[in-house]
Amino acid sequence: MYAAAVQDLIDELGRLPGIGPKSAQRIAFHLLRLPSHDALRLAEAIRVVKERVSWCRRCFNIAEGPPAGEAGAAGDAGRPPAIECDICRDERRDPTVVCVVEEPRDVVAVEKTREFHGRYHVLQGAISPIDGIGPDNLRIRELLARLEVEGVKEVILCTNPNIEGDATALYLASLLKPLPLKVTRIASGLPVGGDLEYADELTLGRALEGRRELVD
Amino acid sequence: MHLERLWLTDFRSYRHAEFAPAPQGITVVTGANGEGKTNLLEAIGYLATLRSLRGNPSESLIRTGDGAERAVVRMEGRREARRIVVEAEISATGRSRAQVNGQALRRVRDLLGALQVTVFTPEDLALVKGGPQGRRQYLDDLLVALHPRHDATIAEVERVLKQRTALLKSAGWQAAAGRGLAPDVESTLEVWDAKLAAAGDALARARAGLAEALGLRAADAYRRVASGVAHRGRDVVSLHYETSWQGSLAEALRAARGEDLRRGVSTVGPHRDDLRLQIGSTPARTHASQGEQRSLALALRLAGHHLVAERIGSEPVLLLDDIFSELDASRAEALLACLPSGQAIITTAGHLPVEAVVAAWARIEDGKLLA
Ligand SMILES: Nc1ncnc2c1ncn2[C@@H]1O[C@H](COP(=O)(O)OP(=O)(O)OP(=O)(O)O)[C@@H](O)[C@H]1O
Ligand SMILES: [Mg+2]
Ligand SMILES: [Zn+2]
Repeated sequence: MYAAAVQDLIDELGRLPGIGPKSAQRIAFHLLRLPSHDALRLAEAIRVVKERVSWCRRCFNIAEGPPAGEAGAAGDAGRPPAIECDICRDERRDPTVVCVVEEPRDVVAVEKTREFHGRYHVLQGAISPIDGIGPDNLRIRELLARLEVEGVKEVILCTNPNIEGDATALYLASLLKPLPLKVTRIASGLPVGGDLEYADELTLGRALEGRRELVD
Repeated sequence: MHLERLWLTDFRSYRHAEFAPAPQGITVVTGANGEGKTNLLEAIGYLATLRSLRGNPSESLIRTGDGAERAVVRMEGRREARRIVVEAEISATGRSRAQVNGQALRRVRDLLGALQVTVFTPEDLALVKGGPQGRRQYLDDLLVALHPRHDATIAEVERVLKQRTALLKSAGWQAAAGRGLAPDVESTLEVWDAKLAAAGDALARARAGLAEALGLRAADAYRRVASGVAHRGRDVVSLHYETSWQGSLAEALRAARGEDLRRGVSTVGPHRDDLRLQIGSTPARTHASQGEQRSLALALRLAGHHLVAERIGSEPVLLLDDIFSELDASRAEALLACLPSGQAIITTAGHLPVEAVVAAWARIEDGKLLA
């Protein structure tokens, strides 16, 4: 067994997504070998990001807030985020079209296409009973609350073209159906079973252009 | 199609191995028990199906012992006039990779369709004797060989079923705790049902169509494999795909919802279907003799082989793993006689029981493959 501090580090690293026990061990020993100031840069970057960055109160994308200590600094559980992201603050963006995505990284993917000029709503996940994630665990209530207030006319469901993303889109479509809105789903052409994150810009751009209305 | 050369790195028992079977006709691979004969065929099978032909998880294909992190299988061969070079890397930690003719594939699954194999193993008896799972797998493997796109449908059905079952289970607990069905559960269940109905119906239709196409070919192959063995009237076999529901799957799912919630399982769908096999007028699973069952299992494999050869215009590579240890002389002879003309790789720990024209021999000794 390792010293308790080393074991703690391995355990923490092992909790990160995509990192198994072996990789956790490898990273831990890499950090141990690094000069102090190099290793602490990582700790500092984590600290700063937790202090300054939180969720946009409107769309739940990543938003950079005022530095710690100032009023409205958001962050930890329980306290409502009080800041808005760059996109929500940008008045040139069309507020009547909202693109619904799963994760902040999908906002980046869609932005790269330069095909979309509306706003976003980040669900922060997709429906997946296997992982214990139902509609209640996503930012769906917050989406519904925005629609009328912001005068949204079209919702584009841009969840991943895989099974959970599709199921989430179908669920949202049935939820939004009674509302006076146009609901579209990005066209395929995206590889089924894929991730938006990995789609090239051209394919994703075309998929956005070719979006269609979802019946049921 | 045929293999010209195969290279293995850290695959199962092999650190490195190179294998060059005869391009046409029979190559016999001999070796004592546990030397690695099945491992060799499994490597070829992996390139064709991306699965272990023993049904083991892919990680088990990576050589254990000194910490190898990936196994690599590479083949060069020909498909009619075209040259094909296929390489697949199985990784324990990172993403697996594959390439065809030097082109890296975006997804490893895109490898499907580059190489087709027909596998015969002693366990094939379970196709007839065992539960419906093996028969569904038989159909699904053929569907993918014929149209690699079906792989996505099969994967979708599996995934949707997992999700639906997870939802049923958690909803079942809530209901049992007297909390009733949350409205959320009802509407998410609608979504999973819609997806299962669409994908499940597509899969069942594809399987049913396949069963029909296989029927005559299986009957024909059975007559030849069992020739001289079968009694009068018992040389007629038929195949019929039986769904676990009647009418539309969407409606069946709705009708089954109450029971599904109670039991926490999905009681209808393509995962509950079966391929019904008959010899004469009775079900082969419960009424046929051991010998008849063995003949029928061979006939099913041969039928699949012929169908794939016809549809894709190129004969799959035949892999026969230790098959003659289980067959009596007359069936072994009949099988050899109706073996298609293409490339066949046959493993055996002993001798071939019957005279066969052998194009090449290979031997495995101390785990090393000697040409
Ligand atoms: N991942 C692996 N790494 C190293 N060795 C393995 C691995 N998987 C299986 N083996 C070894 O391979 C051997 C089995 O090889 P294989 O099943 O090909 O034998 P065989 O020649 O077909 O034997 P038989 O005639 O009994 O069927 C066993 O000794 C087993 O320990
Ligand atoms: Mg074997
Ligand atoms: Zn925002």
